[in-house]
Amino acid sequence: MVRKQRGTKTSSPSKTADREKRTKSLSLTLEYSDDEAPDEVTFEDSKAQALRSMKQELDTATREKELLKEKRRKRQELFQEQKKRKLLPADVLEEIHSVPLGKRKQSEDEAAEEEQQQEEEEDETRQKKKKRSRKLAHTRHLKGNCTVTTMKEQTLGSYQQQAAEDFIKTRLYGPGSCRTTSNELLSLQNKKGRNKGAAVQFVKEDWACKQKAKAEKLKKRWIHKQQIPPC
Amino acid sequence: MGEFKVHRVRFFDYMPGRLALARADGAVEIFNFADSYFQEKVMPGQDGRAAEALCWVSQRLFSAGLNGHITEYDLENLRPRHTVAAYGGPIWNISSNSQGTLLAVGCEDGTVKMFEIQQERIQFQRNLDRQKGRIVSLSWHSSGMLIAAGMMGMIRIFDADTGHATQRLLVERGIGASKSKEVVVWCVAFLSDHTIISGDSAGMVQIWDGFTGTLVRTHLVTKWDVLALSVSQDESSLVAGTSEGTVIQFQFISSTVDQQKKEWVRTRTFKNHSHDVRALAHTETAVVSGGMDTQLVVRPLLDKVEKNTQESALRKIAFPHRSLVCCAKKAGQLLFQFAEHLELWRLGESDGHGKAGDLLPVKRKPEKLLQLKKKGDNGVCVVFLSFEPGWLAYSTVSSVRLYRLQYDNNISISKVSRLPKDLSSAHQLCFSSDSSKLFASTSHSSVVVIGLDQLECKYLHTLKPKSGSRQPVHLMFASDDGKWLATAATDCRVHVYNLNKQKLHCTVPVYSSCPTAIAIHPMTGNLIMAHADQQIFEYSLLHKEYTEWSRKLQKRGLHPLWLERDTPITHITFNPRNPAHIIVHDMFMLCIIDQSLPLPDATTRLYNQMTLRSVPEQERLRHSHAFKICKSFQHLMCVSLLEDQSLVVVERPLLDIVSQLPAPVRRKTFAT
Repeated sequence: MVRKQRGTKTSSPSKTADREKRTKSLSLTLEYSDDEAPDEVTFEDSKAQALRSMKQELDTATREKELLKEKRRKRQELFQEQKKRKLLPADVLEEIHSVPLGKRKQSEDEAAEEEQQQEEEEDETRQKKKKRSRKLAHTRHLKGNCTVTTMKEQTLGSYQQQAAEDFIKTRLYGPGSCRTTSNELLSLQNKKGRNKGAAVQFVKEDWACKQKAKAEKLKKRWIHKQQIPPC
Repeated sequence: MGEFKVHRVRFFDYMPGRLALARADGAVEIFNFADSYFQEKVMPGQDGRAAEALCWVSQRLFSAGLNGHITEYDLENLRPRHTVAAYGGPIWNISSNSQGTLLAVGCEDGTVKMFEIQQERIQFQRNLDRQKGRIVSLSWHSSGMLIAAGMMGMIRIFDADTGHATQRLLVERGIGASKSKEVVVWCVAFLSDHTIISGDSAGMVQIWDGFTGTLVRTHLVTKWDVLALSVSQDESSLVAGTSEGTVIQFQFISSTVDQQKKEWVRTRTFKNHSHDVRALAHTETAVVSGGMDTQLVVRPLLDKVEKNTQESALRKIAFPHRSLVCCAKKAGQLLFQFAEHLELWRLGESDGHGKAGDLLPVKRKPEKLLQLKKKGDNGVCVVFLSFEPGWLAYSTVSSVRLYRLQYDNNISISKVSRLPKDLSSAHQLCFSSDSSKLFASTSHSSVVVIGLDQLECKYLHTLKPKSGSRQPVHLMFASDDGKWLATAATDCRVHVYNLNKQKLHCTVPVYSSCPTAIAIHPMTGNLIMAHADQQIFEYSLLHKEYTEWSRKLQKRGLHPLWLERDTPITHITFNPRNPAHIIVHDMFMLCIIDQSLPLPDATTRLYNQMTLRSVPEQERLRHSHAFKICKSFQHLMCVSLLEDQSLVVVERPLLDIVSQLPAPVRRKTFAT
């Protein structure tokens, strides 16, 4: 049934389109029928038309040029972006700055040469870089207090311990263990107990805050939908 | 209001009189069953060192955990004594033979390792035959010749002498279980008549013949797992704990009256836990169970105890029997002690005008001033806070840390870097009321006194009791006038020191039950003591004798309903406006003891505050008695009276704890 309906639905718009096409072609044939004599066109008119067409051609040419330019510019930007991305992350840069002065100077000189080759646009970015480097110099001073420590050893033992803990977890709480939630357990107690009460999430205010916030949002949306827009 | 870290009971082992219990955060607690189930000692845990199994060997306590180490505890200094690596991966179980000479541990790599118990340490002896798959459970035969080991899908019986496996008992996978999921034998018990009892993940308690290795009987007790087994001393009864939170008792009796042959018959089911029962102990008269719901439940077996006595009452131990909250009375600040960190809160304020029973609107909300993460691996065992000048001290097993607090617009904290060498670790900490001294109890019940100054802190002297007591101090109280310091140790001794003379003033006559709270009255200078058996004593420090009121109370006897309460008094405070008032609290009530009113006798109503309200004002005095009990606050962690006569009540509802627990099982109940 459903399929059929779908089929009919899809077919109906195509049919109407066909009809429209047919009528259009009919009207076209009516407009340019061979029976009619050619219209008279004045010289001014034809001149104006010729001028217009020339102008249009010029316009399109310039537009195309501009488009090409735009394209190139975008490409250039993309390349620059990629270059930036290839640059080392900030923390590595910091380390580079903390290498002995002589070396750094050399590298900075090189960097300066490179920068000179670059265009004016990049000048701004360089200024930014300089700013950053100034900041980095500041942080470098702070970093001096840092001590190097080895990470806590992830020994075989700790992996095994983790595996053993996971074993208990999957056995008791893993798939197929038929567990419920504390909320359901307590709500059931409220329902079955002598003093009947609502489910816990309604009794306790701070329970399931996220879900409640979501419900509130959905409710607002629903109310908004229900309101008839003023016309 | 008060935050409080959830502990999960994992496993424990029982020794006559004392019960050791390990929690999931690595803490080990010792309860004294002879003394009203009082939580005597608490050893804080270490990171990643939760004990999976505990074992008593005479008076020594051993534990083993998934970190692959065996630890022996020093019960006098409340710390691990020594730790031995077993080199077999995570350890699932530890068990000693009945002679107390050998320890067997079951490891992840499939070996059972034997350790010889020596005077001071344990020494690796040998491995039994290595098996495929982890050894989850272990049980020694009483002869010490055989060991049963529960594994994945089977039980093996080892000959302890040769180390070879003699029997292999295949345990069936549960009906409808997937083939890839092997059954786990979570627990096994080897009885002296060579019967082996196993509990497994298919929910079955199975009884095997140890001689032939054949299955005798299968009891399907649950759809989930059977996680713990415990057999009574005389091997006539056994209990099995399940994931459902039920404890099922089996008894070795003849099934029909005239039959001689005895067999294991399922008799009773107890349901006292909402979550999994992970640990069980079968004592002479009761079944003690510990569950994932953080509670310890003592369920007396009614055929073993006298009816309608205190012994026959069900007991649930949910809260620690000591105060985890420290209150700075002048500043209205609370310090909460967690296993991993400390939190300092400032109380909120309100306008403070209203009728009795009104809820006052909060003008300023309570504010968390700071959260202090503990340093190192060891858990926090004690904290203390003082105000003006502000000090904060906490102790772990390995070190004591002292911080200076400065209150200008916001709080600033600075650590005191150089502490005296004598202050290596403390069981209890306490500041004098003017914050000029820090008292720290160390080994052998002695107290180290540290002088505190703006610039430095230096060692002053050590206070020592006369008798050679070795038990740790678990309570300490410095009087407000700075003259007295009272300490109570777990051997029930209460010592009072004179701080001016720097020596022992007196020892209170030893009472058989352990003190649970002590305090010195700021005006009268009397020492008030509450004991685990709910007795209250008042001792005059000036005259070195029990006061008149205390004698009267003992002669009259406390009200039977008062004695029936099953949680100890954990804190005592006084009302500076009315010296006759003593404010005490336990988990379920707070009580103002008015020493000026007559004591109740057994026939008067103890809980009479509600009825007193209906009585006209003139007659109230005639009907009232010394114990004014308020039950409107429940699950109390702390009750304290501030300088401005407002009462701080720290509640920790059990419902809030339940909400943070792991998932319980989904049980279908009719019509839901």
